[in-house]
Amino acid sequence: MANLIDSITSSRVWKSFFRHGWPDDELNRSLVMTTNIFFHLHPVKVSRRSIRATYTWGLGVLAAILFVVLAVTGTLIMFYYVPSTELAYHNIIDLQTKVPYGQLMRNMHRWAAHGMVLIVVLHMARVFYTGAYKPPREFNWIVGVVLLLLTLGASFTGYLLPWDQLSYWAITVGTNIAGYTPLIGPKIRLMLLGGFEVGQNALTRFYALHIMVIPLLMTLLISLHLWRVRKDGGLAAQNIPERPDSRLEFQ
Amino acid sequence: MAVENKPDERFVRGPVKTYGLMELVRGRSPMVEKGPDDTVFSFPIVAILEALLALGTILVLGFFSLVRNAPLEELANPDLTTNPAKAPWYFMALQELLLHMHPVLAGIIVPGVVVLFLIILPYIDTDRSDAGRWFATPRGPKWVYFTALYTVIAQAGLIYFDEVMGLRGLGAASPLLLQFVGPIMFGVILFALPLLVVWRFKPTRRELMLVIFTIIIVSAITLTIAGFLFRGPGMHLYPPWGMPDGYNPWSSL
Ligand code: HEM
Repeated sequence: MANLIDSITSSRVWKSFFRHGWPDDELNRSLVMTTNIFFHLHPVKVSRRSIRATYTWGLGVLAAILFVVLAVTGTLIMFYYVPSTELAYHNIIDLQTKVPYGQLMRNMHRWAAHGMVLIVVLHMARVFYTGAYKPPREFNWIVGVVLLLLTLGASFTGYLLPWDQLSYWAITVGTNIAGYTPLIGPKIRLMLLGGFEVGQNALTRFYALHIMVIPLLMTLLISLHLWRVRKDGGLAAQNIPERPDSRLEFQ
Repeated sequence: MAVENKPDERFVRGPVKTYGLMELVRGRSPMVEKGPDDTVFSFPIVAILEALLALGTILVLGFFSLVRNAPLEELANPDLTTNPAKAPWYFMALQELLLHMHPVLAGIIVPGVVVLFLIILPYIDTDRSDAGRWFATPRGPKWVYFTALYTVIAQAGLIYFDEVMGLRGLGAASPLLLQFVGPIMFGVILFALPLLVVWRFKPTRRELMLVIFTIIIVSAITLTIAGFLFRGPGMHLYPPWGMPDGYNPWSSL
């Protein structure tokens, strides 16, 4: 058995996939991080303070995890959903009653969406109250503000898709708010809805925004956001010494 | 022809030496005064933490989805308005504001100012010496706590006042006063009061931001809860447990 594992892990095929040895020494633990596209978001070593649960509460990572969950469950729902005012509502009913685990998929997508709005707001509050928006992280804070707006946009555009009374009137009320802007308000509303009322054109546009435009933008911006976290020298926590009286100044 | 541009002479011709001493600045070499190296390997610790978070999220979400179904009402009907007709919960703060002031103020100016504040915040408060510390200073938590408490009470009071009496009840009639001047005045007072109080303690910029941000976010939360949980048919205030017509605010999630 040990021989078999040995010959697999020392084969050229294996080595072309995993470009490091068993991660039980410092060299290989470093290589795991630098040779893996997901792990390379992290530095090889992180400061102990920055991974404390009570510093970040894991909120940024949670937001990213929820984004992935939404992408996966959303894709599954897309297999059964047609964005037509004739079909959409019945597709949702079929999804819930005829498709195996369809109801579960829809539930998870819905609750993850609400959860993500909540978590992103909490993450912003965490970043604010830890003062992590200060230089050199100003730009990443602004990327965050845009991400918050995109998260709201994703949630709002998705809300219309089931085409029930709830979605219809919520989107009517919501887009009316946009219509109040002086001069350009009605034009913005017209552009969003593709008409003066919520109808097929609105459904088509919200669908395109919901499954394509906003997720793409968010993927881009989340990548930028995480990359900036590293470029700004990791989380702000590590610059703070344990005891305030031993306060040091850092550039 | 006093000043003549001679582009050729602006650069060193033939890079014999491409660097020079330009200036001396105060600074530190990278490791000076950084204290002992307090780091851990990302692998496996961070990797495991993140995997656990992902698993936990999926478990909690999956379990919740087994016990609570996403709502689905009747087929959309443009001829049958629901009562109340509410925006999704994360826009309820805006919809709640709309009940109290002119749409331009509630829908555009107030949210615009909030977003603008968020964007310029890191350029107002740039002192990085306390970045990464929760609530900035030892007195920070207390300030945040009292500001939050004050904001909840003030906002809830204002919402209730506007519902039962409002400026109209006090005899005001002009739309300008009711929809613009009045709300702006209340808004200014809402921010000015706590700022005047903390001013006496010589706040740092970060502490000022702490107070302002807390007023904003707690206001948003209070307005959201008021709009989402306490508004019933006709967008009137009711206790969430005593809604008329069997309306259940939670059913719109
Ligand atoms: C889709 C939404 C978002 C995702 C997926 C996301 C993800 C993350 C992650 C994974 C981190 C690493 C630290 C942590 O886990 O807390 C982080 C840090 C950070 N985020 Fe976000 N974020 C989002 C939205 C926001 C928003 C709305 C803001 C602020 C307006 C923001 C500002 C920041 C800043 C400044 C940092 C650096 C924090 C520090 O150095 O302590 N992010 N983000």
